Parts: sequence; structure tokens; C-alpha cells
Amino acid sequence: MSEKVTDVEKQELPSENKKDAVRLTKREVVRSFWRWTFFSHANYNYERLQATGVIHALSPVFKHLYGNDEAQMKEALQRHMQFFNTEPHFGGAILGMTIAMEEEKANGAPITSETINGLKTGLMGPLAGIGDTLWQGTLIPILLSFTIGFASKGNILMGPVLFAVLHLAIIWGIGYWSWMQGYNLGKEGIAKVLQGSLLPTVMTFAQSMGPIVIGALSATFVKVSSPLKFHLGKSMMKVQSGILDKLVLGLLPLLITLLAYYLLKRKFKPTTVLLILVIVGLVGGIFYII
Amino acid sequence: MTIHLWQAFLIGVVYYLGQMGSPWVSLAGTHTIMRPLVNGALVGLIMGDPVKGTIYGAAIQLPFLAWIGAGGSVPMDTALAGTLGTALGMASNVSPSVAITLAVPISLIGTMIWVLHMTVDITFVHMADAAAEKGNLSRINFLHVWPPQITMFIFSVVPAMLASYFGAGPVKAVIGSLNGTPLHVLTVIGGILPALGIAMNLRAMNGKGTLVFFLLGFMIAVYSKLPILPIAVFAVIVAYIYTTLFLKNGSENA
Repeated sequence: MSEKVTDVEKQELPSENKKDAVRLTKREVVRSFWRWTFFSHANYNYERLQATGVIHALSPVFKHLYGNDEAQMKEALQRHMQFFNTEPHFGGAILGMTIAMEEEKANGAPITSETINGLKTGLMGPLAGIGDTLWQGTLIPILLSFTIGFASKGNILMGPVLFAVLHLAIIWGIGYWSWMQGYNLGKEGIAKVLQGSLLPTVMTFAQSMGPIVIGALSATFVKVSSPLKFHLGKSMMKVQSGILDKLVLGLLPLLITLLAYYLLKRKFKPTTVLLILVIVGLVGGIFYII
Repeated sequence: MTIHLWQAFLIGVVYYLGQMGSPWVSLAGTHTIMRPLVNGALVGLIMGDPVKGTIYGAAIQLPFLAWIGAGGSVPMDTALAGTLGTALGMASNVSPSVAITLAVPISLIGTMIWVLHMTVDITFVHMADAAAEKGNLSRINFLHVWPPQITMFIFSVVPAMLASYFGAGPVKAVIGSLNGTPLHVLTVIGGILPALGIAMNLRAMNGKGTLVFFLLGFMIAVYSKLPILPIAVFAVIVAYIYTTLFLKNGSENA
């Protein structure tokens, strides 16, 4: 394993020396982090979610690397206009790595747009699943339940103020650490990742772990049940508890999620799918089917 | 207690700052201000009694303790619930528990503002596409911040300001008129919409056996009723085993 790596480094060195090295300084990486921390969701939307947020955040990097090369700048901007959505603090590691990959690419490493987007999309789901679980699902409820007791007695300092301070300190701390960690890992490991077995390993791992967590999230968040009931002779038959729950628990949420997934797979735009879901809810709700 | 127009405007601004995506206090900042615990105190400050606001905010926070907005969906608008619930509760001098019953339906109606702004923002993405083709970075940065934020400011401030200015009466009337089927439909749609975000995330994974793993996670959660965190640990274990076996087979074939 280690022999392979040194081989790769030897191969890559000459090609790097051919080009004028454009190296990023810590300043661009840190500025990108703060831009992301504040502006990640400024243009959040149903079609591509954080796509323009990525470009906005990575602007200092793009300017530094591609400022004098219009063709490469165009390519970079179009590359990152792709759908992107993750939990921004834990998921910051992905963009840290992306910065490292862009830096290597600008210096002549054989990294394609597909590789960069593959890494982004491969990791965004799992990190969003983990990040949202740890942040919104765990940290915030814990902080809230700790401070809410003080607040209900009118204690501003130990209530809202303490909640705000702890929350921001912890989440910004995690976000910064994750971002820099991603960048450093990317810088050291890109050659390893590209040539070795780490990328397929990470991708396979992420692509199997992510859907499991998402499945669990879907069971928690998608809430559909049927209030239908009908008379069978003397007894009343409730569709939800009498039939559906006996078949498979959570059948309706599962079907709705699979419908949305199927439509997206058939290249329906997310907004169209949204409209279809709203119509399903409207019709189902008006007739009290769901 | 009456709410003056300038106070109503500031309450609207607090609501805007607590809308996910308003960048001026950072994302973690909006996730702080969107909690009724925090925005209740801010509304109280605007209305001249931060202590009372904190008490109302803490009460309204209770039904939203485990609230989570993920994958592009916001099941309930806790920022509107907290700001309006506190403002109207304090203005009409009802008990904090009555403010809760006012706040919960408000949180459902508020999600419409979110859906609206998530949809309108798509326009700016398409404009950004055109800018990307020309390599115009600064135009994308402009499109990313100003048009969506001005739209969101208007979408957020105007309804919150009007609702707090005209007081609890009209708001109660609106909610009352929604009672029954309209509110049921809103709740149903609110329950269905997270499916889109989840499906988009799933689609983005695009790996081998995505649906099988998804089904596994879903079934574990439904039948065991375990919280997400232990399920995530199971997921790590399954992914480890699968990755080890899958890649081993892959390299043998190669």
C-alpha cells in the first residue's frame, strides 16, 4: 500500500512542476468557510438547494485559482451549479475536500469534473444524515431542554442567551474543524484517494450507510395515515389500524416516499414532484382518505 | 397592550432573521432565532417586557422541542409560531398555554411562506446558470444573495407585521375559518412534503442497492421505534460489512 503511494507521488511530481504552481493560502480557505457558514442557504430552493451557495462560498478559491483563466472559470462555475445539499457544518468537510481537489486540478492533477461532483454527491447524503441527526436531532433538543426550565421562570440569561451562546459556539466550532479537516485530508490524500482503493471504499460505505439513515429519517418525518373506516356488519373496520398496520407498519409514508423517488428517477423536476405531492395531499385530505 | 406599527415591523424583522436562509446571523444563527425560546425573548424586548416574552417563548417552544428541518423541508414554521404567538399572546394578555394553541396552527400556515420562497428562488438558479455559462462569478454571487433575500424579506416581514399589528382577533378569525377540512389538508400536506427532500437525498446517493438499504433503515425505524442515532450506528456496521465484502469480491473479479 505505502509503496504504491510513493509511486504515485513520483509520477505526479514532474507534471506538477511543468505548470506554474498556484497554491492557496489559509486565508482563502478560511474566508470560504465563513462565507459558507453565513450564506449557505441564502438562495435555498427546491431545484438545486445549496448549489449557488457552494459557488458563493468558494468564490475566493475560484478567483485565486482561475482568476486569469476564463475557460477554466466557466468550467468550474458550471461544475458547481449541480444539485448540492448537505448539513452545512458537519458537511463542511466535503467542501474542504472540494477546495483541495480544485487546487490540485488547477495544478494539473488529472481530476475531472465528474470526480469532484461524484465526491460531493457521494458524501453529501450521509453527512447530511449524520449532521442533521447530531445537530438538529440531538444537540438542539438537549440544549433546549436544559435552558427551557430557566426560561419558563423568566430567566433570560440562563434561558435564551445561554442557549444561543452554547449553540453557536459548538456548531461553529464543529463547522470550522470539519472544514479544515476536509481540506487537509483532501490535500494529503487526493493522490492516495484517486489511485488507491480509498475512493471506492468511501463511496461504497457512504452509499450503503446513507440510505439506511435516510430510511430511518423517512420513517420519522413522513407522516401519512388514513382516517378511513367502514362498517362490516356490526363491527367498525378502521383502515389504518385494521388493515394497513397489519400489512406493513408505515406503508403509506413508504409508498409516498417511493413515489417521489420514482418520479425523480424518471427525470421529473423536483418542483413538478412537489406539485404532484401537494395535489395528492389536497385530494387525499379533502376526501379524508389520508 | 397594543402593538405599534414600528414594533410590528421589528417583530417582522425578527421573523425574517429566523427564516432558514437569511444569511445575516449565519445559518446556525437563524437556527437559534427560529426557536420560540429565543424569538419569544426578542419579541418581548421589542414590546418592552423581555422577561414576559421569554416566558411565552419557553411555553411555545414545548411542542416544538424535537422539531427538525432537513433535506429542504420545513414541517412547521417555528419562527412564525414563536414571534406571532408571543406578540399576540402578550398583546391580548392570554396565558402562555393559550398562546400555544394559537402558535401551533400558525406554524402550519407559516410553512406556506417557506414553500413560496423555495419555489421563487428557482428563478434565480436559472439566472445563475446563464451567468455560469459566461463565467461571471460576481453575478452568481449577486444572484445568490440579493434577489432571494429581498423576496424573502418581503414574504416574511409583511405577513408577520400585519398579523401582529391587527392583533389576535383577525388571526383567530383566519385560523377559525381554516378549522376543519382546510387545516386537515394543510396537516396532510405538511406530513407528505418531507418525502420530497428524502427522495432527493436518496436520488443523489445513486449507488448500488440504494432502495434495499433505504428499506432496511425504514423498517428498523418503524418496527423498533429506535431514535435515529442508534440506527445510524447500525448503519455504520452494515455499511462496514457490505463495503468489506463488496470490495473484496470486486477485486477478486478484477
